Amino acid sequence: MLHIPTIHKFKLSFMATKPQRICHLAETALQVAKRARFMCSTTPTEAEAKAATNMKEAFAQYAQYLNDLNEKRERVVKASRDITMNSKKVIFQVHRISKQNKEEVLGKAEKDLAQVTALHVSRLVKELHGTDFWKLRRAYSPGVQEYVEAATLCHFCKTGTLLNLDELNAVLLPLSDSSVEPLQINVLDYILGLADLTGELMRLAIGRISDGELDFAEMICKFVREIYRKLTLLAPEMDDSYDMKTKMETMLQSVMKIENACFSVHVRGSEYIPLMGSEDGSFSLLTVPDLE
Amino acid sequence: MEAPPNSASLGKQFEDFRSHLNESGNLKDRIRAVAVEIESVTRLMHSYLLLVHQSKPVPEVLDTAKAQIIVLKELYDKLAGIVRECPGQYHGDWRSETQTAVTMLAFMHWLETGALLLHSEAQEKLGLTTPEFGLDVEDYLVGICFMSNELPRYVVNQVTAGDYDCPRKVMKFLTDLHAAFRMLNLRNDFLRKKFDGMKYDLRKVEEVYYDVKIRGLATVPINGNPVGSVLIASVHYNMTMYNVFSIYWSKFYCAFNMVLIFP
Repeated sequence: MLHIPTIHKFKLSFMATKPQRICHLAETALQVAKRARFMCSTTPTEAEAKAATNMKEAFAQYAQYLNDLNEKRERVVKASRDITMNSKKVIFQVHRISKQNKEEVLGKAEKDLAQVTALHVSRLVKELHGTDFWKLRRAYSPGVQEYVEAATLCHFCKTGTLLNLDELNAVLLPLSDSSVEPLQINVLDYILGLADLTGELMRLAIGRISDGELDFAEMICKFVREIYRKLTLLAPEMDDSYDMKTKMETMLQSVMKIENACFSVHVRGSEYIPLMGSEDGSFSLLTVPDLE
Repeated sequence: MEAPPNSASLGKQFEDFRSHLNESGNLKDRIRAVAVEIESVTRLMHSYLLLVHQSKPVPEVLDTAKAQIIVLKELYDKLAGIVRECPGQYHGDWRSETQTAVTMLAFMHWLETGALLLHSEAQEKLGLTTPEFGLDVEDYLVGICFMSNELPRYVVNQVTAGDYDCPRKVMKFLTDLHAAFRMLNLRNDFLRKKFDGMKYDLRKVEEVYYDVKIRGLATVPINGNPVGSVLIASVHYNMTMYNVFSIYWSKFYCAFNMVLIFP
């Protein structure tokens, strides 16, 4: 066998752990001249060495690019989470509404919403330039949807109308530097936000009914129905239509809950009113009316 | 029944949305159509390049494959025209095709020069040079990872065809590339997964290199001595993949020593 005479040396080299020792052993094991010549063929050629340096330099750039992008993404995610959290607070504030304190509650909600815009949405605006807007969409989309939800809910409670995308984007305009293209909420996030809005409106409607504000609930019902109807047309056209599909199903559930609640009031309300003897409709369906 | 509040303006807005979404949908379809064309060109390129495994002379293979680069560039010009209308939005719809295109270009470049096709060079070749329509660095890196998958097979076939210096060259290249990739802080995403796969390519190439070397087949100098090759091969071995696959290799080593001692 070719390699039998080499067993000894081979084993030596295997057992050696430190490079210096390997060198030492190799030198004693081989004639120096032969070894030196042999090593020539394992050392890279000049061209190879140059290519390796080029590669290293280029990858240092890529590393920098990836670091910057990841940091930016991280900042966008954080901003998005802050927007979500604070928009949720605004929504809860709106739910504290009742007949007596409407102005006060909505006033505070609007103030809070303005805070969200100034403190957190502005952070998004700073980060998203050019193609980042689409590249990082998954990082900020949940926050923006929640923001749309909060803004439209406030607006609806105040005026009974839908806050248009253009109106919403007009609020964001001052946040952008005039030199760059301003950040605008895109149609997809707006529609996804609207889909969530119906869930909140459902809660609001149920709350209003139990508080006796039947007209308000009636109005919500019509409004939500209309939104659902409009969105059925748009849902299949959207890019991430799977997401939208589940939202549409939830939306239908919400619409039906409101309708059923309105139905209950409509059918059984007429029985309760004479019993309570109140003309202003300020009765509660859910608690048995106290007898005077 | 009375009309819902602000029904008219509400209707108008949704009407606008609908036409907007319709337009974007069309745009997406157009982008997809070009992406499909790009894919078929890269597939053609790939089929030409596969001839290197059948020991067709490299320059000949490169000539036929290179002819497709012009076609590819034209398609990217076409794509640029469409993407200009919505920079960045439908990137996902031409992403994987672009990764494959990078793979093909990088493989050709490597066959020709032995060096890595850099991001800027790839951009140049595809004409993806503006910030709105550029070659995404992550796509480029994924493409490079795919190229590394091609190399073990190339080495095996080159050695079979009698090119014994090839494993050394490829190993050097892949070792450098692997080291360069380790400089990147990757997220837990697709690129990371592809990069993790690269070490198996490196291992395979090192195995081939080892096999060739231990039999004294690698470029042996004048008065070459197979003793030297065994020694050097084992030293090299100890210092590279031995670190990565220490357990696997130590077992292999024991078995190997046994064979040598008790033939």
